[in-house]
Amino acid sequence: MTNHWIDIKNADVILIMGSNAAENHPISFKWVEKSREKGGKLVVVDPRFTRSASMADLYASIRPGSDLAFMGGLINYALQNDRIQKEYVVEYTNASYLISPDYSFNDGIFSGYDRATRKYDKKSWAYQNDDKGIPKRDKTLQNPRCVYQLMKKHYSRYTPEMVEKVTGCSKESFLKVADLFTSTHKPDRVATILYAMGTTQHTVGTQNVRAYAVIQLLLGNIGLAGGGINALRGESNVQGSTDHALLWHIIPGYNPCPQAKLHPNFQEYVKAVVPKTNDPMSMNWWSNRPKYVVSMLKAWYGDAATRENDFCFDWLPKAAKATPHIVLFEDMYKGMIKGGFFWGTNPVVGGPNSNKEAKALERLDWLVASDLWETDSSVFWKRKGVDPRNIKTEVFLLPASSSVEKEGSVSNSGRWVQWRYKAQNAPGQAIADLDMVDMIYQELKALYIKEGGKFPDPIVKANWNYKHSPNAHECDPHLVAKEINGYEWKTKKQVLNFTKLADDGSTACGNWVYGGCYTEAGNMMARRGLKDAANKLGMYPEWTWSWPVNRRIAYNRAAVDRKGNPWDPGRWVLKWTGSKWVGDIVDGGPTAGPEAKNPFIMNAEGVGKLFSNGVVDGPLTEHFEPRESPVKNIVNSQAFNPATMVLDTVAGEFGDSAQYPYVASSYRVTEHWQAGAMTRNLPWLTELVPDMFCEISPSLAGKKGIKNGDMVRIFNKRGSIQARALVTDRVQPWKIQGKEVEMVGMVWHFGHGCAASGDSCNNLTPHIGDANTMIPEFKAFLVNIEKA
Amino acid sequence: MSDNAFLVDTTKCQGCRACQVACKQWNGLPGEKTEFFAGPEFTNPAELSAITWNHVKFFPVDRSDAERPIWTIMHKKCYHCKEANCVAVCPEKAISKVDGWTIIDQSKCIGCGACVNACVYKVPQVSDIEHINDVGQRIVTKDKSHKCNACTLNAREIPACVTTCPSEALTFGNRAVLIQEAKSRLEKYRKTFPKASIYGLDEFGGLRVITILRDSPDKYGLPTGKDAEPMDHAKAEAIKDTYALLSMFTFGIPAFKRTAYKIARSLGTKDA
Repeated sequence: MTNHWIDIKNADVILIMGSNAAENHPISFKWVEKSREKGGKLVVVDPRFTRSASMADLYASIRPGSDLAFMGGLINYALQNDRIQKEYVVEYTNASYLISPDYSFNDGIFSGYDRATRKYDKKSWAYQNDDKGIPKRDKTLQNPRCVYQLMKKHYSRYTPEMVEKVTGCSKESFLKVADLFTSTHKPDRVATILYAMGTTQHTVGTQNVRAYAVIQLLLGNIGLAGGGINALRGESNVQGSTDHALLWHIIPGYNPCPQAKLHPNFQEYVKAVVPKTNDPMSMNWWSNRPKYVVSMLKAWYGDAATRENDFCFDWLPKAAKATPHIVLFEDMYKGMIKGGFFWGTNPVVGGPNSNKEAKALERLDWLVASDLWETDSSVFWKRKGVDPRNIKTEVFLLPASSSVEKEGSVSNSGRWVQWRYKAQNAPGQAIADLDMVDMIYQELKALYIKEGGKFPDPIVKANWNYKHSPNAHECDPHLVAKEINGYEWKTKKQVLNFTKLADDGSTACGNWVYGGCYTEAGNMMARRGLKDAANKLGMYPEWTWSWPVNRRIAYNRAAVDRKGNPWDPGRWVLKWTGSKWVGDIVDGGPTAGPEAKNPFIMNAEGVGKLFSNGVVDGPLTEHFEPRESPVKNIVNSQAFNPATMVLDTVAGEFGDSAQYPYVASSYRVTEHWQAGAMTRNLPWLTELVPDMFCEISPSLAGKKGIKNGDMVRIFNKRGSIQARALVTDRVQPWKIQGKEVEMVGMVWHFGHGCAASGDSCNNLTPHIGDANTMIPEFKAFLVNIEKA
Repeated sequence: MSDNAFLVDTTKCQGCRACQVACKQWNGLPGEKTEFFAGPEFTNPAELSAITWNHVKFFPVDRSDAERPIWTIMHKKCYHCKEANCVAVCPEKAISKVDGWTIIDQSKCIGCGACVNACVYKVPQVSDIEHINDVGQRIVTKDKSHKCNACTLNAREIPACVTTCPSEALTFGNRAVLIQEAKSRLEKYRKTFPKASIYGLDEFGGLRVITILRDSPDKYGLPTGKDAEPMDHAKAEAIKDTYALLSMFTFGIPAFKRTAYKIARSLGTKDA
């Protein structure tokens, strides 16, 4: 999130889109309600009338996978009706920046596209620079090559009529939403967007999120209290996992993962990943990247890491190719992966195309599953129709402590890193993941020392000290936390924050973003001070610690004008007194006054990017259909995202609307958790939702002779499952291009490995995903349905 | 005497059902074995039972206004009527008002089912099973009637359901104060829902669960007026006498009594 949970109460308008917050983040609704008590309005945009929608002041229904048409409509509405925060847009975004004459757009394709490789060369997505190398601007926003004018032209196609034709949402409903949402363009009115997987899990997921950033920048809502774009994270500590680089493409602190071909050595890496700018107004914070990467290497390799060997950069494994989840499992399916460690993950239920992913597990030589109990994945060989005698995988199940059976931090969606204590001992032989990893490391190290090997140094010489003594019974999470914070190598004193990190090996730091969480003053994450800040916005700066540097609202420098006066004095985040900043921790550091630096410090430009070269599939958002869609794309003649990777190995796995006419979506209910291992063993929850079900409209039920409660078969090219049918008015078809498009909605919590069992929805989801991240397109695909 | 009550504001309820789980957790009650949903929508189980002392009722969605469909989700448990039918008909005086709450004394209950038949809200139910919870408490006794006891049995300052509600759809406090609060909210709500109403002010002499609704109570199957008047005293006495007679004819032998009451109960429910 740019903002945080409590801050939601400060909004005038709350848009919940691509999220079912009442369902899946029920506690958050406390803050939504507090906003509404003060007159705030809730808008919910969702294909179904969900539990969130039941609380809304305004509800709009859109077809799954048509978000960009709706958002394009909102952006067009703001531009056409001049519903923008003009001064904010001119000063703090690249609206006034002139774009290269080489940039063009036609029929869904931007300049630089190679159809054969499905990749864009982004060279033309560039600014026109002056002789100092600083982007040329037209602050009057009139120049036809300025971003503002390019956007006006680009989004002019997204009329309310077009929105209705693509999304199925009536023009009237759309206009009501547009009017309410863009009413927050006024400096003293603010809107927040709450989103989750409904936004991201599409082949256009990243662009969906970008569209939120664009509209919020136009409205001047980023950096303000009650504003921002706010991802509601899923797993309890997924934010922490993301920060510490669970995903393949980054190393801790959002630094790019080194890739073998692109970064053969440290110098090439630095050249490639450190952005440059000539604009003196831009802080270009990532120019500090070398300090963070070197400090991380020093933490990992200790004395072995010296300037002479580039701090052991060469010891880091390098990615041979992009390996997001789908690619990993395709490789596994091909037999390319020998073994796997599955830490609390259950792809047999939770992974896309889960039949295929389960079969992929069969190709492993060994699998180590660390989990609270048996899950569908840890007993994958017991699946229906599978003969264990044909499977050679050796499977280990390591019983793991749950989060209340160990000490450590949990980072929430709002970047608050709350330290938690052990409430009770784990049962039986269960231990913390930290201790498992430590035991594995110690054993590997001993084996390398005894037997040698291809390249022992990175293991044998690693700086690994998470116990107070070699014979200590268990690791101490405090030692991990202290390393993450960072310390001076010579003195071993904790650093105050990341501004103290250096690129010369004098500092060590596990994750620069967390600099300041555990200083010489102690564990900042364990603080529970109840005093709110002077601006009384619910920031509670003494309660725990948030990254970065305990800032509560990111990009808060955009919350004030060039003189340092808040746009919204009634909800002031920051104020410049003339000599210093008061309020939240100011973005970019306290020494720069309001007129000195631009607020979007993580961009090389320093300003918000309405036009962005930071994504692979286009500098402006554009609607494309999902890979499997019931209708043709009428916004342009491309079918699905032209830049999405399509693996050769999935070629035959997609169907069309002739065989599979209904648009399917997968989602969650309050009562169950993700792949269900945590909840399908709990009687109080299985009382509420005992079995696998789908949701269909009364009209679809009527067409298929399905009654409420009937067993139905849902199937497509990738699989066939059975489920109970919940026939409900909350699902309604849409009129799209003269067709009535029906939806089959499914929960994906079920599998056969726990007490309450059922077929897995993910048997039906596809192995294709977003162009930038490859997050799977769980939210829009095709199925057919019939009475079982 | 406590003057406390519950306020259920259905306009704030997002249907998370944490209240339903919280009651089970606090009392160590077993989960129900359910299949699909009892309905409408996700409602499970269909009605309260000896082991389910509160549940969340989902109503069908009203989509007459496209931009503002209405989906009411309502927390339901014993309403702790001031003049409760169950108290009136119990032949053993096992049910009484304790500190204002309608409480079943398990040691006196004979499982005759008179209360089950007399309650228009279908709240108390006789148990088919015995259940010892994880702290060794016999929380459910076979052939006895059970229901919400406003967290006075496993006592706590604020009832579990209220404490757990994330959106303050459930609140707890002085009844008169809560009614004032409900009335002031009603004024606000009527701007969007002109037929919004407050239920529980006068029914059965006044309920200790006040519910704010977006429409009139009959839309939610809640009895009002004549249907929410305490049972006629003569009728209540007649019912008591019937069960007393039954007791006599079974010679007070518990096994005979239980069989007779089971038959009487099933006859009663057939009529109802």
